[in-house]
Parts: sequence; C-alpha cells; structure tokens
Amino acid sequence: MARVTIDSVRKVYDDTVAVENVSLTVPDGEILGLLGPSGCGKTTTLRTVAGFETPTEGTVAFDDEDVTHVPPEDRNIGLVFQTYALFDNMTVGENVAFGLKMRGVDPAKRRARAEELLELLGIGGLSDRDPQTLSGGQQQRVGLARALAIEPRVLLLDEPMTGLDAKLKRRLRNELGELLDELGVTALYVTHDQAEAMSMCDRIAVMNDGHVEQVGTPREVYERPANAFVADFVGTANVLDGVVSDGTLDLGFERVPAAGAPEGPATVVARPEAFRADSDGEIPVAVTERTYQGDHVRATVTLPDETAVTLRLDPATLTDDENVRLTLDPTALHVTDVDVEADSDGAVIPN
Amino acid sequence: MSTSGRIADVLPAVRGAVEDLGSVAVPTTERDRERRRIAALCAPFAVLLVVAGVYPLLEVVRISVSVERFETVGFTLSAYRTLVTDPYYRRVAFNTLWFAALTTLVSVALAVPIAHALEKYDLPGEGLFVTLVSFPISLPGIVAAFMMLVLFGNNGVLTNVVATFAGANPTDVAVAVSVPGLFLAFVYSMVPRATLILRGTYAEVEEAAEEAAQALGATPLQTFRYVTFPQIRPGITGALILTFRTGLAIFGTLIVIQTLLVWTLQLDRELSAGAFPVAGAMATVYFVFVFGFTALGLRYTSAEVGL
Repeated sequence: MARVTIDSVRKVYDDTVAVENVSLTVPDGEILGLLGPSGCGKTTTLRTVAGFETPTEGTVAFDDEDVTHVPPEDRNIGLVFQTYALFDNMTVGENVAFGLKMRGVDPAKRRARAEELLELLGIGGLSDRDPQTLSGGQQQRVGLARALAIEPRVLLLDEPMTGLDAKLKRRLRNELGELLDELGVTALYVTHDQAEAMSMCDRIAVMNDGHVEQVGTPREVYERPANAFVADFVGTANVLDGVVSDGTLDLGFERVPAAGAPEGPATVVARPEAFRADSDGEIPVAVTERTYQGDHVRATVTLPDETAVTLRLDPATLTDDENVRLTLDPTALHVTDVDVEADSDGAVIPN
Repeated sequence: MSTSGRIADVLPAVRGAVEDLGSVAVPTTERDRERRRIAALCAPFAVLLVVAGVYPLLEVVRISVSVERFETVGFTLSAYRTLVTDPYYRRVAFNTLWFAALTTLVSVALAVPIAHALEKYDLPGEGLFVTLVSFPISLPGIVAAFMMLVLFGNNGVLTNVVATFAGANPTDVAVAVSVPGLFLAFVYSMVPRATLILRGTYAEVEEAAEEAAQALGATPLQTFRYVTFPQIRPGITGALILTFRTGLAIFGTLIVIQTLLVWTLQLDRELSAGAFPVAGAMATVYFVFVFGFTALGLRYTSAEVGL
C-alpha cells in the first residue's frame, strides 16, 4: 500500500471548476472519506487519483512517485463502484481474477487467489456463478474482491453502498470497515452519507463546491466543525448566538464556562445531544414539533429567547406535555470563528 | 382424434379470441383500454401491410407458379426448378451472397471504430462528422454509383491523380466500372446503416465496467477485447444481419455499375424480358431467404435486431 498525496489539484471542465485547490494526504493504511453533497467534487477528486481525469493544475503522488500523468492501467489501483461494474460476460471467479490475468499470473494461481478472496469476503462457493444472479450485497463483495485481488497500492471506493438497502448497508459497512482495517489498505472512500463516512473512515475530508472545507477524524468533524457548512452537513447543528466575556459564554438563556474562547460576540454550534430533558433543568422550553424515530424522538423546541433548536429526546421520558425543562452540557458546545446564522428551523446557513 | 374432439380443443381458443376482440371494442379495464389504444395506433399500418405487403406478395407467389407467362393460371414449379438447376441462376445467387457478405463484413468492420469514436470521445466537429457518416443513408444508390464514376471513372478525379503519379493511362487505372468500384459503392451505402445500429449498442455499454478493467491493469485494447466487445457483440451481430440484408437489396447502384450480376439486377432483367414466373420465383426466393436468414439469426444469436 502507498501514501497518497493530492497537491493543489484543480480541475476545470470548459468553464466549470469542478475541483479547486484540493490538497490531501492519505497516509499508508488510512481510509480517508471524501464526504459532501452531489456535485461537490468528491468523485472528480477520486477519478483524478484513479487517473481517469488529469488535473488542470496540481499533482497526484503515490508515495514519492508522481503519477499525475500515468494512465489508470499503470497505477495499480483498485476501484469499487456504486453500480458494481462487474463483467457480465465472466463468472464471479473470472471477475475476481481479471486483474491477475492482465498481469500474466497463471490460471491456477489466479483461481486460487480468487477463491481465497471470495472466502475472505464470505461469498466462497460463488466462483462459478454468473454475477447477474447475485444479490446487490454479493455483487458489491465481488467488486471488492476483484479490486483487492491485485493488491492495489490504493483502493478507491466510489459510493459503494448507495444502491443497497439500509439493513444490508449497515451490515456491509461493519464488515467492510473491519476487513479494510485488517488488510491495512490505503483507501479513498467517496460518499454523501455522513453516517457511512463516520463509521468507515479514519479521517474525513468534507467537500463543498469543489473545495475541502475540513479534514479531520469523524469525531473532530462532528464535534468541532470548522465552519457552518460542515456543522450542517455532518449531523444536525443548532446555531446559537452568544457573548464571551471573562471566560463565560452568555447564551441569553444560560451562562456556561468558556475558558479560552475569544472575547466578544460568538457563534455557537450545539449538537442535539448537548441538550438533555431534565425535570430539574434550568432551561424551560416549549416543544413545537416532535417526530417519533423509534429509538428517539426528534423534537423542535423554542428556547426562552425564541430560538428554535432541534433535540433528541428519549421516548420513554417524553410526555405529551408541551413544556419541558432542559439542561445544557457546556462541554458539548463548539464556539466557531465563522460567521453563521440559523434559519427558522435552526438549520445553519452560511453567511 | 375425432372431429368433435378437435372442435372441443379449438372452441376455447376461439372463444378467447372473440372475448379479446370484445374487450378491445368495449373495454372495461385499464388493460383493455390500453389494448384498444395499441390497436388504434397500429391499425393504419396493419391495413397498409395487408394491402401493400401481404396481398402483392401472395400475388407474386401466385405468378411464380403460373403455367402461363402473362396470366396467373394453373400450377407449376418450373420457374423454381429453373432457379435451382440452371447454372446461370446458381452463379447469380453465388455472386449475390459472396458480394453481400464481403461488403457487409467490411462495412461493419469500418462501422465499429466509427461508432466507438463517436460514442466514446468528444470529437471536434462531431456534428459535421455525424452528418458526413450518415449522409449516404439518404442518398439513392444510383447517385452513390454516379459519385463513384466521378471519382474513379475514366475521367474521375482520383483516377487522373493516380494515373498522373503512376504514369499510366487513366482508362487502365479507372476502377469505377469494375467489381472493386461496385464494392466501394456498396460499402459507402452500407457503412452508415451499420454505424447507426452500432451507435445505439455503444450507448448502452457500461462505462464503469470499462474503467474497472482499466484500473485492474487492462490496456485500452484489452479493455475492448474483454469488456467492450462482449457488450457490443449483439449489436455487431444485429448490424451484420441488417447490413447483409441491405447488401442483398441494393439495386440502384447496380443500374449504373453493372459489373456483377446479382439477384436484384437479374430480377430486373427478367421483368424487362417479361419472364414473370421466373421473376416471381426470384422475388419469392429472395423474400423467403431474407426472412429465414433473419429468423435463424435471431434464433441462434443474441442479435439486437427485429425481423
């Protein structure tokens, strides 16, 4: 496996800038998620690493080798697609062995390696099957086995679970995460699903409009979003206005310690879990909307200063009473240095 | 089986057909209404098919077995016997088949890279290229042949260029009125048809599979061989079948460049000579061959083509 370095990559199609000044480093053995909405440039970045796109500016390197102008077939990469992209004219085994065949490995060794990988992915015994007869989950495993068979320097996964149902996605996510960790694969994982990125990736690069907004561990990105976009895209964020003075953050309805925060007006990102329903709580709120989600109730409440925030409440403790008391966990607040505001539903809007 | 038994077998089918007709005439379900719409949409063509297709064809068959030359009376297979036993007609059939087959192979072989280039890449001046490639479709064969004369005839532009460089007499290097000239005219007419079919097939090729192959180390040529070609194979088979049919049917070109005696040209000669039963037999054989060939092609290949 290799370290991947994307340095100041810019990609322009006609007059459209798809990717602007993207610089990322994926250390050997790390899984880096590229997370963002449709059209944010994550797939273009992945295709640039794969060699299917040549950057307008910037470079791509595997370890210390500049591969910017190396064709895809000479990069030794494994590619897993959302659409599986299996070869329908070949059996499952032939699909997995294809890369080895292209490398001149003899048929017996190819077959043995294919069987070994299929076994590893829990689909041993399907080697002679037609890929079209397999379920979506099985096809995706075949696609992964095929990509891993060549022992790629980098594994590139482009929304590999988008076509799967929620339950299968959860299962495959766990299995795939464990497998990639076990194999120590360097991987770029493109997804628009933040839950998937958080559970699969060692670090996440959140992209928006061709730029990288933040790179960090899932926890860093969630708990300390660099800006409004990241706060809103990764999870639910409540944006509150406050003032920091003498190490205390005054939110209007509550004062909490804020040692180290810059003095003056502050924008605060509070995740739903920063609030807890508590009969002894000091913040009285009115519940304006509640949506039952099974393991929790997603509620919108109005704070004493008329700000609307979104919370996760325990269905067992929630009554029909519209008036609830909350406590606020000051350690779960994040003071941003970026100018943001919230719309009427509490969603973050970058200024 | 007894007569009453046969009637008992047929009755449910007849009853079903009558019910189907009734439900189309007076629909009660959405499926019935859909069938009525389909019937209404197809009715004009069905009428045309019967009036201009089935009836004349039956008449042609009738003429082919007529005892009299100018009258459709009696029954004889002598015209068919002539086609089978006379070496002259056998040679015409052989010429027709090898020429159509060879021009088909060359046309499809040329159409594959054209379709590949058009569907896979953003070509500069693609609109103009498409126009030029598809232009011969709307060109009568007779005009295509005339163009060959302009280029490769005794006074043709290219003939004179070649003659000048070779120091030869233009009449010695002119190829228009020769089998190679006819071959070029045929291919010129057939390439666009093959390209049209193959472009449709190429549009359905899964690009992600090609990229997966490349990522796995396949060169562009290997990607074509192992991934693209298997996907376009049904289209190629379809293009071969349809282009071959086109090759068999070309006539206008042959009027101008009469260097090879093929079925359509001979058919014209039979009609001109008033040999109607033989002409009828030739037309019937032609129809049966094309229909049977296509049906077999569909039966034994996965060609993307209809009858």
